[in-house]
Amino acid sequence: MVKKLFLMLLILVLALNFAACGQGDVANVKEEDILSKDWEEILEVARGTEVNFYGWGGSQRVNNWVDTYLAGRLKEEYDITLNRVGMDIDSILNILLNEKQMNVEEGTIDIVWINGENFFTAKTNDLLFGPFTHKLPNFNKYVDKDCVEVNYDFGFPVDGYEAPYGKAQFVLVYDKTRLDKIPRNYKELLEIAKNNPGKFTYPAPPDFTGSAFVRNIIYDIVGYEQFLDMEPKKETVEKAIRPAIEYLKELKPYLWKEGKTYPATIAQLDNMFADNEVLMTMSYNPNHAVNKKKTGEFPETASTFVFDKGTIGNTHFLAIPYNAPNKAGALTVINFILSVEAQASKYDPQNWGDLPVLDNDKLNDEEREMFEKIDIGEGALPQNVLLEHRLPEMPANLIPIIEEIWMENIPVEGE
Amino acid sequence: MKRMKRRELIFKVITYTLIFLLLFPLVVLVVWSFTKNWPWPNIIPREFGLRGIKYVFGPSSKSLKILLFSLWLSSVVTIVTLLISIPAAKALGVYDFKGRRIFKMLVLAPVIVPSVAVSMGIHVTFIRLGLANTFLGVVLVHLIPCIPYGIRILTNVFEIIGESMEMQARVLGANPVKAFLYITLPLISPGLVSAGSLIFIVSFSQYFLTFLIGGGKIITFPMLMFPYIQSGDRMMASMYSVVFIVSSLIFLVIMEKTVKTYYKAENYFYI
Repeated sequence: MVKKLFLMLLILVLALNFAACGQGDVANVKEEDILSKDWEEILEVARGTEVNFYGWGGSQRVNNWVDTYLAGRLKEEYDITLNRVGMDIDSILNILLNEKQMNVEEGTIDIVWINGENFFTAKTNDLLFGPFTHKLPNFNKYVDKDCVEVNYDFGFPVDGYEAPYGKAQFVLVYDKTRLDKIPRNYKELLEIAKNNPGKFTYPAPPDFTGSAFVRNIIYDIVGYEQFLDMEPKKETVEKAIRPAIEYLKELKPYLWKEGKTYPATIAQLDNMFADNEVLMTMSYNPNHAVNKKKTGEFPETASTFVFDKGTIGNTHFLAIPYNAPNKAGALTVINFILSVEAQASKYDPQNWGDLPVLDNDKLNDEEREMFEKIDIGEGALPQNVLLEHRLPEMPANLIPIIEEIWMENIPVEGE
Repeated sequence: MKRMKRRELIFKVITYTLIFLLLFPLVVLVVWSFTKNWPWPNIIPREFGLRGIKYVFGPSSKSLKILLFSLWLSSVVTIVTLLISIPAAKALGVYDFKGRRIFKMLVLAPVIVPSVAVSMGIHVTFIRLGLANTFLGVVLVHLIPCIPYGIRILTNVFEIIGESMEMQARVLGANPVKAFLYITLPLISPGLVSAGSLIFIVSFSQYFLTFLIGGGKIITFPMLMFPYIQSGDRMMASMYSVVFIVSSLIFLVIMEKTVKTYYKAENYFYI
């Protein structure tokens, strides 16, 4: 008897529970459209709130910049509490996709650090809020709105759904004491590899940086122009990059472990470089070598170079999820990140060393000076050298095809 | 006599080799957490530094707060798992019923089926139930990988002690609650400690499930540690790992000591 009663009670509680949840969904009131407010009102709404900032958390220095400088200044200026959550972008997208599927109106993420293929995924699945960049005073004031790098993210139109955060550019890193001559192009690279067998390698695509290295080699050999509007068909791409694939095959026997295996991640290659196992590493962050010297991982003689024909650069962005609980706060934070002060602090290699996204022509002399007086540190390339050697990124939909072709041709050969 | 000594020697050599093999990697981990760089062919690191310890124990990383929260979360998971496992294990270990073997197998399912495979579905369901991004949700999802260990270990314990002692207590007039508290619980307490330790460690090292269900609202210690392991920052990764290992060790020792002293006193009193 008691047992039966207990069971009944349990069922009742469960039923109530479900009913309550169902109601919760219905009761969700659609929030007022934040974009129809003017900026002063948005700032007012944002004051005193919490903003959850989700993004890659693998660099202690980047984390530190966000946790101390950014969080501190936001608290001072707007009384906003910034919570940084280190999470890789795949997991963030998984959460958002699941929430979208369930029509969750209020999620947990306010700002996402994103670019490239992930932005493509997020935007095509309607995971993002926007367009919002036209609302940001600093975006309107300092950012060159006609610039390809702001309007396109890996060849995919941004349409105001993400605001630029910083710029990256592919660079190669070497140690002056161990390599006296740096390769200025793919031919010289092959020569160096031949003279130092087993002392060079690159991370296997689809590692982000390894994939960028392969694309850089392609650009160096066959030029970049044809790829910008190439249709994403395997045959077309295969034909266009054939000389580069032939080159990589030629390079292969002189690589680390004779090219039979490759480091799986850029992290592994960095550590191999730090351990003197290879002569070069590479990075998508032009100040990578300086950063790693600051933490003591790389020797003081580590230095940076780019190919004469240039290397791929891209922009990383900040976006707001469709169900961000605090959109006003997110807008305020992103606007602050686009300020001269924040961009200059971010550019300082003492802090992070990330290239600014502001347009130099739109800055006044005083503001320009803030950037110029920053000491970029030994072993990095100055901004103008990088910009002169900057090539546009390929459309996002070509990248998986190239990675596939690499997979089919390079590691399997001769085994 | 001589043979005995020789045997002893061999035994000692084997034990110490094993201990060395187990401890040496930990020593390397400790060294790495203070090492800036360690290039080939140096036997000892070239440069030492305090960046790791400064960051982990510094205020900006919030590591200590999150560590304490993690310990608390895993303790809750351990207790809840044990509460569920004790009756289940008693049923599986003592009673004979139809389908017992199948149940015993099924209990292991979460260990056999990778949690990643089902976690997406669980996440969707939890969103619907309002459990995603909550403490309760994370505790519930941690039960999945933890329960098999709890039930399996305690089932074996119950199989050994059987029901006779509890029966005896009942015959002598104890009610079920008393019989459980004063007889069964002290008897299974060693099993509780080992099951609890394992459950705690499984819960404490969960990464993906916490990540997905916690949605970044519930942050545990492994979530701070993983980005550094992924990005290859060996100093930070080692520092976090050392803190991880030391804190769970301390916690386990404290747990074992408390349970043991408590039941020793009780036993002494009641026998």
